[in-house]
Amino acid sequence: MEIVHVSDLHELAPEDQKFCEATKAWFKIDFVPKMTRVLLTVPEFGRPYGRASRRAMSDGALSRAQKELIASVVSAINVCEY
Amino acid sequence: MTHALNTVADGLRLPMEFSVSSRQPIVPPPDPSNGEADLKTVFDEIRDFYAVDRVPGVFRWIGRDPGFLQPYWQATREAFADRTLERLTKEILAFAVSMTAKSDYGVDFHLREVRRLGLSDRGLTEAVEVVQLFNTVTKIADALGLKPDFPARPSAPDS
Repeated sequence: MEIVHVSDLHELAPEDQKFCEATKAWFKIDFVPKMTRVLLTVPEFGRPYGRASRRAMSDGALSRAQKELIASVVSAINVCEY
Repeated sequence: MTHALNTVADGLRLPMEFSVSSRQPIVPPPDPSNGEADLKTVFDEIRDFYAVDRVPGVFRWIGRDPGFLQPYWQATREAFADRTLERLTKEILAFAVSMTAKSDYGVDFHLREVRRLGLSDRGLTEAVEVVQLFNTVTKIADALGLKPDFPARPSAPDS
């Protein structure tokens, strides 16, 4: 059961709504993931965390696909359904 | 396979293979030179696969039952073979699994493997960043009880 209110897009600051739109494009999806909206509940945390995430998950020495695989195994070991 | 091998190695307190380790095994793994002929064949394969002079302790331990080691090693070797994913990527995943599960043996073992197979400093940094990021968001998601919002498994591009 979710124990926090997950903000709707319109509840977020305009600049955070723009980040959410970029997130949709990043994942090629037509909705904003809950995690993105939850992190932006505290923008002072969520904004820099989002920037760090985007940088870390971009193609670099490792490809984005390799990084998504790493994310998957970390999630599996942590038994994280989300 | 990685998590299972790490469980055996850390559970039995086997010393790390490539770092200084003060760990004392709960029950010492057998000496590979005392093995039977078919065990020697498997141990030779393991040494070749990992390019090591000495059979890693976890496989020596499993060699207490050669009839188990032989097929288990075969499965391990095949799991890490170059296929759709190449061996380096698989070793990076094993390293990420070991870090996340806090396996000293696994981190030591797979860090050596990813370096041996050519992972750069930059690549290692990036891998650790992703491990760090997802050890954050998975804990946030669980603590807040977030239910998945992505649709059911998307199909692969070539399916």
